Amino acid sequence: MTTYLVRRLIQMVIVTILSAMLGYSLLYLAPGGPLLFLQQMQNTGQRRVTEEDIARLKARYELDLYLPIRFTRWLAGFPAGPIQIGGVNLIPPDTVVGCAIPGQVRLRYPDGTVEIREEGCVRDVTLADLAERRTSRGILFGDFGLSQQIARDRPISDLLMSRLPYTIQLMGVSTLLAILIGVPIGIYSAVRQYSRFDYAMTGITFVGSSLPTLFMGVMAILIFSVLAKDAGLPYLPSGGVRGIRDYTIPWIGTVQAGSTLDRTLRFIMPCAVLTFFNIASWSRFIRSSMLEVLRQDYVRTARAKGVRERAVITKHALRNALIPFVTLLAGVLPTLVAGAAVTESVFNWPGMGRLLVDALGNSDYTVAMAILFISTVLVLIGYLISDILYTVVDPRIRLT
Amino acid sequence: MATTTSTPAAPGAIERLQPRSEGQWAVVFRRFRRHRLAMASLAILIIIFGASILAPWIAPFPRDDIGLNRTRLPPMSADPVTGQLHILGTDHLGRDFFTRVIYAARVSLMVAISVTTLVAIIGSILGLLSGFFGGWVDNTISRIMEFVATIPDLPILLILSAIMIQNADLIVLPTWIIGPVAWIMAVPNREATQVALLILVLASLGWVGVARLMRGMVLQVREMQYIESARALGGSNAWILIKHVFPNAFPPLIVAFTLGLNGALVSEVAISFLGFGVQDPTPTWGNMMGFATSYMFNHPWMPLIPGLPIFLCSLAFNFIGDGLRDALDPRLKL
Repeated sequence: MTTYLVRRLIQMVIVTILSAMLGYSLLYLAPGGPLLFLQQMQNTGQRRVTEEDIARLKARYELDLYLPIRFTRWLAGFPAGPIQIGGVNLIPPDTVVGCAIPGQVRLRYPDGTVEIREEGCVRDVTLADLAERRTSRGILFGDFGLSQQIARDRPISDLLMSRLPYTIQLMGVSTLLAILIGVPIGIYSAVRQYSRFDYAMTGITFVGSSLPTLFMGVMAILIFSVLAKDAGLPYLPSGGVRGIRDYTIPWIGTVQAGSTLDRTLRFIMPCAVLTFFNIASWSRFIRSSMLEVLRQDYVRTARAKGVRERAVITKHALRNALIPFVTLLAGVLPTLVAGAAVTESVFNWPGMGRLLVDALGNSDYTVAMAILFISTVLVLIGYLISDILYTVVDPRIRLT
Repeated sequence: MATTTSTPAAPGAIERLQPRSEGQWAVVFRRFRRHRLAMASLAILIIIFGASILAPWIAPFPRDDIGLNRTRLPPMSADPVTGQLHILGTDHLGRDFFTRVIYAARVSLMVAISVTTLVAIIGSILGLLSGFFGGWVDNTISRIMEFVATIPDLPILLILSAIMIQNADLIVLPTWIIGPVAWIMAVPNREATQVALLILVLASLGWVGVARLMRGMVLQVREMQYIESARALGGSNAWILIKHVFPNAFPPLIVAFTLGLNGALVSEVAISFLGFGVQDPTPTWGNMMGFATSYMFNHPWMPLIPGLPIFLCSLAFNFIGDGLRDALDPRLKL
């Protein structure tokens, strides 16, 4: 078990670094970013931008460093200055690690066009210069750097933490509800296979799982907010977490903006849509797993012994049917944090999925990368937890 | 062999006595026809697909014909100037909804079909190789599959397509990609770049499921006796793979293909809805939905117009996949 865990952890670190490299190369390839903003200011004549401005901005976002150095600093905050062991420099501190102001060469072509090309370097950045900078601890240690567009210069981790509670609330409650509703439905469907209940439930869950959440969300708003309000019936507010001003709902009365009732009313629709979508997968999974187990010899033996049907179902069948269930539980972990981009956008819910959409809309790719990185790590942790849980619930499985 | 009866039977009678041999696909089709919802779905899909193919001929208005004096007209209303009928009304810029919906069907459905086809090709080649050869081939492909499967779908899809689409002008795709895409989607060449990029992004991340499925099937088929006999006959690897392994691993691929169509359609719709897919003058159901939802509070029918086709196609793909699964292998039924 220990060797297995050690091997798995090493694998996880490798995959994490690989996905970080993939993410970083995407980040590096993506145009836009802070320099584009500066260029826009210059083009619109808002401000004259000097070489010093560009150098300062580049230094701020580390764009003046060479790519490998930038990557290791982004990944693990290394090197944070001259590399020393016991006061002795391993590498000379004046080693060049980047270029603050590139040299420019004017090329005049015979046909009269002029091209300015960057060549050489006017001012180098050395290892010693790095000591004076604010150094991130690196994304491996939870420091994602500064947001470039969405919340200018605020640490990304602050931004993430401000959105996280909303996502955990939405995803947590809807997943819990989906399990609480879906599992009993799945069990009952399996026990009464081909009954009217089974057909009805497989039909409903089939439709629920095949409809895109986008369509369900929009239809929910249309029916329960727009049409209900037009018809003078009690309606649900269409989005957001809290209202801006008080509003009146028929039969319920005035709802104070920001009150518990207001928050609850706004929570119902996104939560219901996600729950309906998820019930399908849970109940189908339990149904097929349960059907599998009910065919086993030990279930027949239990019945033959004269065990009451109820005990056969709960004690003998269900406990074994729940074994594969833990693999699904592990998949829940990343969604709890990554959220649901589409549902959150439809209902204007300020969670992580919405943050991802906003960040991408504003070309703030560092924020997007942080979300991608966190959810990848959570997927890995989820896999590990489910493998370990498997040995706990099923002693036949040994990890080697 | 001597005949015992003196009177020879009529030729027709002999034929009738022998059980009519029925090909595998005839059996599948006969079983599929019994699934009423799947047949209805097929009919609906054929209608929508037909309309999208005929879009340039049956569209009553030009696709991008903006008219600011006729914005957001309800369905079945007449054009205030020409008196022509807008069957499904007009959008926020006064463009005819019916025209745009059928052009959008072309883009959305064709994106789904091309993505799923690419995914099926990449996935089955990698799955076949991985399952059939084993060893380091299997190891390498499996590690890559694990890695791709680890990265969460929607975030990476959104990030990739956002980066690609926001810089579509900077990316130059070869004309042998752009040309066919523009022709199939019935869009001008400059719009085709976005569509092609979206197809590439969706396909590059979607193949893992198919590859896993094929690998699993091949691992089963590989142990069968007919493969052993094919080998005993001196068959080469390529011949066994193409002639014996692939056809026997094929049926689940058809089901995966149909369900994959739904997945690709829904992904395209979601990405375009969020604004990182195909951009406005090119209509897709996703970006039409995006605009329609912002006007839904005063014009509640607007989101229904792109929404219902999404709903119908999504459900239809699922029913057909379900019907095919029943028809191809009754044991696979959930």
